Amino acid sequence: MKDKKHPVIVVGSGAGGAMAAYVLTKAGHRVLMLEAGRNYDPKTETPMFKTNGEAPLMGAGNVDKDFGFYDATVDGGWSVPGEPYTTGEGSDFLWWRARMLGGRTNHWGRYSLRFSEHDFKGKSRDGLGADWPFEYEDLAPWYDKTEYLVGVCGTNTGLDDMPDSSDGILQPPPKPRVPELLIAAATKKLGIPTAPMHRAVLTRPKDDRQACFYATPCGHGCSIGAAFQTTTSLIPMAKATGNLDVITDAMVKNVTVDQQGKVTGVCYIDKQSNTETCLSANVVILAASACESARIMLNSKSKHHPSGLANSSGQLGRNIMDSTGTGLGAYIPALAGRPRYNEDGHTANHLFIPWWGHKAQEKGELDFPRGYHFEIGSGFGQPGSGVSSGLQGYGTALKQQVRDKYGSSVYLSLRGEMLPNEHCYMEIDDKVKDKWGIPVAKFHWKWSKHELNQVAHGLKTAKEILETMGATIDYPLPSAEKAILKGGQIIHEVGATRMGDSPKDSVTNQWGQTWDCDNLFVMDAGVFASNPHKNCTLTIMTLAMRNATWLSEQMNKGAL
Amino acid sequence: MTQKYQIKLSRRESLKWVGALSASTLIPNSVSALTMAAEKNTGQGHWPKLTLSPINAKGYGKDPNLLIPPKSPWPKTLTTEQLTLVAVLADIIVPREGTVPSGSEVGVPDVVDEWVSAPYSRQQHDRLTILSALTWIDDEAQLRFEQSFVNLTEQKRLQIIDDIAFEREDNDNAFMRIIPAFARFRSLVLAAFYSSPAGMKDIGYMGNVPIMGDYPGPTEEAMTHLEQVVKELGLTL
Repeated sequence: MKDKKHPVIVVGSGAGGAMAAYVLTKAGHRVLMLEAGRNYDPKTETPMFKTNGEAPLMGAGNVDKDFGFYDATVDGGWSVPGEPYTTGEGSDFLWWRARMLGGRTNHWGRYSLRFSEHDFKGKSRDGLGADWPFEYEDLAPWYDKTEYLVGVCGTNTGLDDMPDSSDGILQPPPKPRVPELLIAAATKKLGIPTAPMHRAVLTRPKDDRQACFYATPCGHGCSIGAAFQTTTSLIPMAKATGNLDVITDAMVKNVTVDQQGKVTGVCYIDKQSNTETCLSANVVILAASACESARIMLNSKSKHHPSGLANSSGQLGRNIMDSTGTGLGAYIPALAGRPRYNEDGHTANHLFIPWWGHKAQEKGELDFPRGYHFEIGSGFGQPGSGVSSGLQGYGTALKQQVRDKYGSSVYLSLRGEMLPNEHCYMEIDDKVKDKWGIPVAKFHWKWSKHELNQVAHGLKTAKEILETMGATIDYPLPSAEKAILKGGQIIHEVGATRMGDSPKDSVTNQWGQTWDCDNLFVMDAGVFASNPHKNCTLTIMTLAMRNATWLSEQMNKGAL
Repeated sequence: MTQKYQIKLSRRESLKWVGALSASTLIPNSVSALTMAAEKNTGQGHWPKLTLSPINAKGYGKDPNLLIPPKSPWPKTLTTEQLTLVAVLADIIVPREGTVPSGSEVGVPDVVDEWVSAPYSRQQHDRLTILSALTWIDDEAQLRFEQSFVNLTEQKRLQIIDDIAFEREDNDNAFMRIIPAFARFRSLVLAAFYSSPAGMKDIGYMGNVPIMGDYPGPTEEAMTHLEQVVKELGLTL
């Protein structure tokens, strides 16, 4: 395998890489996929039905397993041993990585909301950030195809923040639960909508994946394939074509170019033997995650690409955006001691609060330009290491307090759109290398007033919603500067290789093809021109499907 | 006379636990009455100054087996005396009620031991808080009744616990440090109890079972209750 020239090498096996490999192999192209982590099989490795009480520390998270013992993430999290990253002075940035086949799709929240024409044309509307180089109408059929293939449950709401899917695309959503219905009643009074969340969770069987049986948090992975992850869907489907080869434990170091600056292949470190191998390819697709792909490109300097591969625009590593994040929760006395039933559902939001402020922003009534949504934390969750606060005493009276408070708290998590700014970017730290000898990424970060004003508005609104439900919030809300989570902490980092209409201010064209190298593509969230508040994975997959289809056509025509 | 706490092998069975326990009498677990006397009369009550040997064990790493969790991810560090005190306190916090077992019956002391012995920052922080609380409680028993806490009568034990288990406006300054420390310990005991099968049943957790077909949503009883709540709040569904 190492001697021949590969038609296509895909770097990364997550949302973008697996979709690209699926589309290309289905179209008859041979693909070699390189994954920096180990092989992983959810069918045999997922801890289904395991209880917190069976896990060390009752499942609580720590530096080894940041999101708890059972979180699907392998060899990753906020830190990867031997693979550090650094931050500039005064910059807080967290970079979540997974080192496993399927990448972060194994544990993601599965929230799958479409971006809209409103989202794609922010700059035309308010002059900020960048427009995307296509219209919503161009992407709509690809959203349909992606949602259908992935399996997304939800409904068409007709709300301006939630573009409809075509008929027959969405699977039915699960019924809402009591705290969600109470929130819906409270927001209704405030003129704020709620809607069924769209999630990449099957409520009807599909291919060889089963429908959700409403137990085991999706973040643990899903052995029955109901919760979408590439390791139970796109990767096995691509393999079944006979056209896909996968090498795991292959940490890509750089992309190679010839004397004319044209891409010729990649070099990677085999983590098992700690040896370097270089492979040649006609086309290289980077889908290693927004910042990892940018790191590879920045580490691929050459005579023709002195500031990093395909960086004639100077935009490589710039324009990094995460989602904004904050939240507010409260005890809702009216929910105390409520009747018990199985409230696991599909283990995440059945209802959520989409952004309702487009018109207010149009009229200039809000002091921030971009929207947000609220996700809802509530329910009779499985007991674990956390215990409600404000308990008193001991014995039977204490136990009664615990039982009364169980399932009576509600938490509203804000997830909002941030705008790119000149202070949020990455570069290569020339002083630090990882254990494989690869120079590491260095991040710079600073929120602007757009994000802080948005977070302040979200906190105020959350307080209003909670108080409408009868909560008492008798303490001052934290300042937005204190309340906003760190850059990267929402794990929606995008934009480091953004697409655009012009090679002057973007790294790729609308097909994810780099302006400078026609046989180098980026198919992860790096190409996002903006970062709407709706979570990036569905759009990563949709773009990868569309752009890999275009690439396939170019290869068939002999253009590449 | 209180029986020594026997570790529960049923919670996550392992013979290694026994070995770890017998080798773990390293923690200085009490201060002498003399030391205490020297620290008394500060207006803040007594508070043990523990010098804990650092936990140098390794964590379970970034790729543990999730199907068969590590039985004994790190050596346990509580002494038999400390475990017995934890068991007595666990049963005050969560006593047996009819057929519902008590804290010690579902192995709470083992969970507390695993927690305070863990090599992670949050648990190391809790370790100082909880070992200080345990030491304080025994010191207090010695000061008040000249006996260790576990050897006190139920009534005398509760005299102490009644002073430290409630956060009140008029709490005595002498209990300023023990009240939050005891609250942390109590939370850990409650978590350990309610995450056990008996605890999950007691709290009324009904999930973690497969449902064939569509998720049924709230029961009729739950909806009737919600409708009442919504009405009382002046809202509409």
